Amino acid sequence: MRILFINNDGGGFADYVEVDPGTTVKQFFDQQVRTGKAINYLIRVNRQPVATDQVLQDGDRISVTPTKIEGAS
Amino acid sequence: MTPTLRFTPTAWAKLLFLRDRGETEVGGFGISSPLDLLLIDDVRLIRQSCTSVTVAFDDQSVADFFDRQVDHGFRPEQFGRVWIHTHPGDSASPSYKDEETFARCFGESDWALMFILAQGGETYARLRFNIGPRASLEIPVDVDYRRPFSAADQLAWDREYVECVHSLYLTSQNPLHDPLQVEQPHLFEVETEDDWQDWLNFADPEPFATMREELLYAPT
Repeated sequence: MRILFINNDGGGFADYVEVDPGTTVKQFFDQQVRTGKAINYLIRVNRQPVATDQVLQDGDRISVTPTKIEGAS
Repeated sequence: MTPTLRFTPTAWAKLLFLRDRGETEVGGFGISSPLDLLLIDDVRLIRQSCTSVTVAFDDQSVADFFDRQVDHGFRPEQFGRVWIHTHPGDSASPSYKDEETFARCFGESDWALMFILAQGGETYARLRFNIGPRASLEIPVDVDYRRPFSAADQLAWDREYVECVHSLYLTSQNPLHDPLQVEQPHLFEVETEDDWQDWLNFADPEPFATMREELLYAPT
């Protein structure tokens, strides 16, 4: 099945990827974001925060974006 | 040839406007020209909580920003790599917190750039490559007047500022005072040492850690 994946890591990505049916959000993250730690990201499916054990569906849109972007002087 | 971070005159004017619009730091992302990633066409704010010395992006707003930019046909390297924020005073040198954020939030992309604009006009731009042999270098900053550019739109910039920047001020009555009178359940009346301790406990750890530290060690 096909998922739209948005990710800023590596070269950056905003395109469709093929995943196996039954793939969970955590499995997808582990496959696609190999070097990053999950705690440093907000993972949303169809623009909503999700549990890591949620099973992805065909046509879902998943985004992985950095969290706690903070500056100080 | 040393690469240079360049802003279009319109993007630079917008950044100065946003820096000077309020009493706090502000931050956002630079939108790069599609054919020249070090040419900043626009500066976009993220919903954020700010004090005079800190800025903290709202995580959902960052994700919304990414979704919107993709919907508009932009690539992540055009909108998610140039992290911009302002500093009060004259120094644009990155703080420990800036460095920590740059490493943690932008350390997994092939490249990223941290840009800081101080109130006094000093700038700091560091380009970092996170692939191959890896490299990090400070680069010059310039405003590029050689290309056509659009007119200023201060009304739209002001609207964006009001929509995104949630300012938190310290006052004698309320350590956190919200001038926009947005629902603010965190206000504390401070009259005794215990009140201060209650507030400092509340302020720990996010996003007020830096401000908390300053209050703890501020001269009385």
